[in-house]
Amino acid sequence: MSVSRDEVLRIAQLAEFDVDEDSLPEIAEQMSRILDYVAQLSAIPTNGTVKTFVPGPDAIRFRPDEVAPSPLMFGPAHFAPAFKEGFFVVPKLGQFE
Amino acid sequence: MSQAWETVIGLETHVQLRTRSKMFCGCSTSFGAPPNTQVCPVCLGLPGALPVANGTAIGLAVRGALALGCTVHPKSIFARKNYFYPDLPKGYQISQFDQPLATQGTLSFVSPERGTVTATIVRLHLEEDAGKSIHDRFPKATAVDLNRSGVPLIEIVSGPDLRSPAEARAYLQTLKQLLEYIGISDCDMEKGSLRVDANVSIRRAGETALNTRTEVKNINAFSFVEKALGVERDRQIALVEAGGNVTQQTMLYDSKENTVRPQRAKEESHDYRYFPEPDLPPLVLTPEFVAEQQSELPELPGQKRERFMAQYALSREHATVLTASRAVADYYENVVRAPAEPQAAANWVMTEALADAKDHQEQLRVSAAALAQIIALVKGGTLSNQAAKRVFAEVANKGGDPRTIAESLGLVLVADTNVLAGWVSDVLGAHAPEVGRYKNGETKLMAFFLGQVMRASKGKADPKLAQRVLEEKLSA
Amino acid sequence: MSDARAVADRLVKAKRLNALLTPAKDLRKSLLAQAAAARTTGVLYGMPVAVKDNICTLEFTTSCGSKILEGYQSPYEATAITKLKAAGALIAGKTNCDEFAMGSSTEHSAYGRVLHPLDKTRVPGGSSGGSAALVAAGAVPAALGSDTGGSVRQPAAFCGVVGMKPTYGRVSRYGLVAFGSSLDQIGVLGRSVHDAARVLSVISGRDPRDSTCEDRDPLRLPNVPESLQGFVIGLPKEYFPAELDPAVRRACDRAIRLMKELGAAVREVSLPHTPYAVPTYYVIAPAEASSNLARYDGVRYGPRFDGHQDLHALYRTTRGQGFGPEVRRRILVGTYVLSAGYYDAYYRRAQQMRALIAQDFRNAFDRGVDLLFTPTVPSPAFKAGEKLSDPIAMYMSDIFTVTANLAGLPAMSLPIGRVKGLPIGGQLIGQAFLEDEMIEAAYALERVVPATDEA
Repeated sequence: MSVSRDEVLRIAQLAEFDVDEDSLPEIAEQMSRILDYVAQLSAIPTNGTVKTFVPGPDAIRFRPDEVAPSPLMFGPAHFAPAFKEGFFVVPKLGQFE
Repeated sequence: MSQAWETVIGLETHVQLRTRSKMFCGCSTSFGAPPNTQVCPVCLGLPGALPVANGTAIGLAVRGALALGCTVHPKSIFARKNYFYPDLPKGYQISQFDQPLATQGTLSFVSPERGTVTATIVRLHLEEDAGKSIHDRFPKATAVDLNRSGVPLIEIVSGPDLRSPAEARAYLQTLKQLLEYIGISDCDMEKGSLRVDANVSIRRAGETALNTRTEVKNINAFSFVEKALGVERDRQIALVEAGGNVTQQTMLYDSKENTVRPQRAKEESHDYRYFPEPDLPPLVLTPEFVAEQQSELPELPGQKRERFMAQYALSREHATVLTASRAVADYYENVVRAPAEPQAAANWVMTEALADAKDHQEQLRVSAAALAQIIALVKGGTLSNQAAKRVFAEVANKGGDPRTIAESLGLVLVADTNVLAGWVSDVLGAHAPEVGRYKNGETKLMAFFLGQVMRASKGKADPKLAQRVLEEKLSA
Repeated sequence: MSDARAVADRLVKAKRLNALLTPAKDLRKSLLAQAAAARTTGVLYGMPVAVKDNICTLEFTTSCGSKILEGYQSPYEATAITKLKAAGALIAGKTNCDEFAMGSSTEHSAYGRVLHPLDKTRVPGGSSGGSAALVAAGAVPAALGSDTGGSVRQPAAFCGVVGMKPTYGRVSRYGLVAFGSSLDQIGVLGRSVHDAARVLSVISGRDPRDSTCEDRDPLRLPNVPESLQGFVIGLPKEYFPAELDPAVRRACDRAIRLMKELGAAVREVSLPHTPYAVPTYYVIAPAEASSNLARYDGVRYGPRFDGHQDLHALYRTTRGQGFGPEVRRRILVGTYVLSAGYYDAYYRRAQQMRALIAQDFRNAFDRGVDLLFTPTVPSPAFKAGEKLSDPIAMYMSDIFTVTANLAGLPAMSLPIGRVKGLPIGGQLIGQAFLEDEMIEAAYALERVVPATDEA
């Protein structure tokens, strides 16, 4: 098994979601299976000389520096789950912030 | 006794670029708008939104890189820096990682301890700013304003080349001056357009290896730079001298207590999982584009200082004061060109103009032309120095033509020899014993006579002429 | 020109498929309003087009098949939608899909699975299963989907309709909720090549709001050709393995024979890096997805779930409860392959492999081949639940489709036969920005292939 329970927990922490104890073994197993499967890529010799490829334009297009915001039919007050006095509101980080 | 310690400091400076719109969307960047009113799908991180790069921001970043003598890379890549925080709407910041815009520049500054120091600029790259989190507005909650989210920033990273908190301050001062000079940023720490984080470590004097460093954040004003770094240095020295080890952590500066404290008791080291931004093609800079940015660069502060010294025969000290900001330097030169004699102009700008500006939000309230006129009036003997200062103040507050104002205030010196002769006669007549002493050789009494003439004329006598008339009369 | 009410009725009648997420009442009301306001001079005037629920619309909510965006009303619409409306089309509701487009069966929707129109025990494919099912059921002539690894073409093949994925950069992604940014394109499902092509043409073209969208004019539609004289069709041998389903092989052989009869030259080619395509895809797509889905944190939009005493709790309950298991799995894999120590071995390696795969295609096309023809999927629609226990089994569904996304090439599926009543799709892969040649060949093949005949 290439991914341990602890690694799953560490990754889940980076990705900011909880993994409950009961599902941990199954998730670790599935992740291992997938990672073992994709690990076959390392078998291919590339010598670090093969350039990466991404489709799309070769170079960024520059936008002129004008105030021209993309339209919003309504503001955050309408879709925010918690909004007060013009601010998004979230619970505090914890006792250290 | 404690060994000799050396402090090693590197600075990471974030500078907001002076653009009208944000880095990746067309929202306004203007300061002070009501919260969450300068936002759009892109800088709100709404599902489906995509970034589009601001060409002017790129140009300003290139100018900054050129002014710092960096190698500007014709191709650089935007990358995602992934982490979670409420004022980071996408859950990642678009920045640059292993292929930044520019590398390997220098910044020379005057260290209070070592003379001229040349710090390395390891890299300069483009990125977007996060929004603002306000922790004390609502109880048990954080308020988030995304107006600032997406504002263009450049990050300038120095090498570990600074050796004291005072040096760090000097470096930062010089950097700020340079970037203001080339007009790419307001560099205002109070407004947040210039932010600095420091990396601090200590080692025994003579060591060359670098020890574990800490990061010091939350330095919100220029005056705190030296204090914060001094506090952290002292903390590290005390720790090591007591037998402990410096651990890598982030320290937050508390300006009220003048202390540093760890950001979090158990800080997980961030794994930012950088990868190239798939929503943006590579940033390709044509030679023409870079050349255009080069041509837009004004004379840099160091160059200007040297030229002032040579061209206007100014001392290094005076030239430094006059080139401290582009506004003052341009002002000075405009006064000289008006025309005015360079030395007199220097004196007037350094004393009267700058003092007035200090009390009036750095505004140079008297136009260069008006100042040149005032200087000419003094040189021509129409105004005494004292009177000229009054005229200056009047022009500063109310505007107007200096000559007219001098006249209306009755400050114009009297150069009419007849009137002068009258005053001289009165004075000499009233002080016959002194006249006698003068004629017997006490020539220093001339100053006394002159003073009396000035008193009699209520300051309006042209002192040079008055002296000549006195000399004539006394030698008769 | 359709009557708005009749359109609504047809869509509501297809309700049993669970393909449409928009409630009937909202749909009717909106269609009537839209019909009244539609541009009568538009080339798609009155055409009802259903839209996959991962594309932002002002009409109707956008949930991406997920609980984490349940009830989310987007304050802006996708460029593709703006273009459709400018052409007079009607936005005929939002279609069910695998959550955030991650899946090949539409079984991973938080709103229940979609039924195959011909066999309710089977899946319609995914992730654009809802769009494919509605088109196949005759409820709409066309629908928008998105294709990251085959999510338009595979359901098109399963449901017996046409599915088109344009060249990467042909259609703006502004307003398409991102999954795999360097792979995603909005695609079109249609009951005929012409319906799909017309819609694709309208939504294509430059968009200053998408930096990855090429600065080109909209796609120009070709004429229906008399023959395939002058076309050279390549058959990549890696796509016709020995273990290919015999019915799929028969259907493909028949289609190839018909293309030859139409005058096309047919030759075998090789795309040697094909076996690495699926693992390459399953590194890049989850990696990009793990980053693209970081914005779903309960802070600015979407519902909040209970138990958020502090910030971390807010993140973890929102994401833990809002995301389904397949999405969570892919985010974990994606986060892993990008994390410190693994980036070079996985992500960077995959991007290098991608270059080799793209080069394979360039080599084939440089040798005089105009188009490639392959089966779209190794076998017809599978039974619901059949592939849920093993994620890799599900991923293998994409074996013939992911390469076009990796290489950024245009590709489409059209129905070429049936096996025991279940549709089989044939795939054409074209050269970058030469969709017109691909569509031309599809027009010709469509006219002669007995799509509903057993193979």
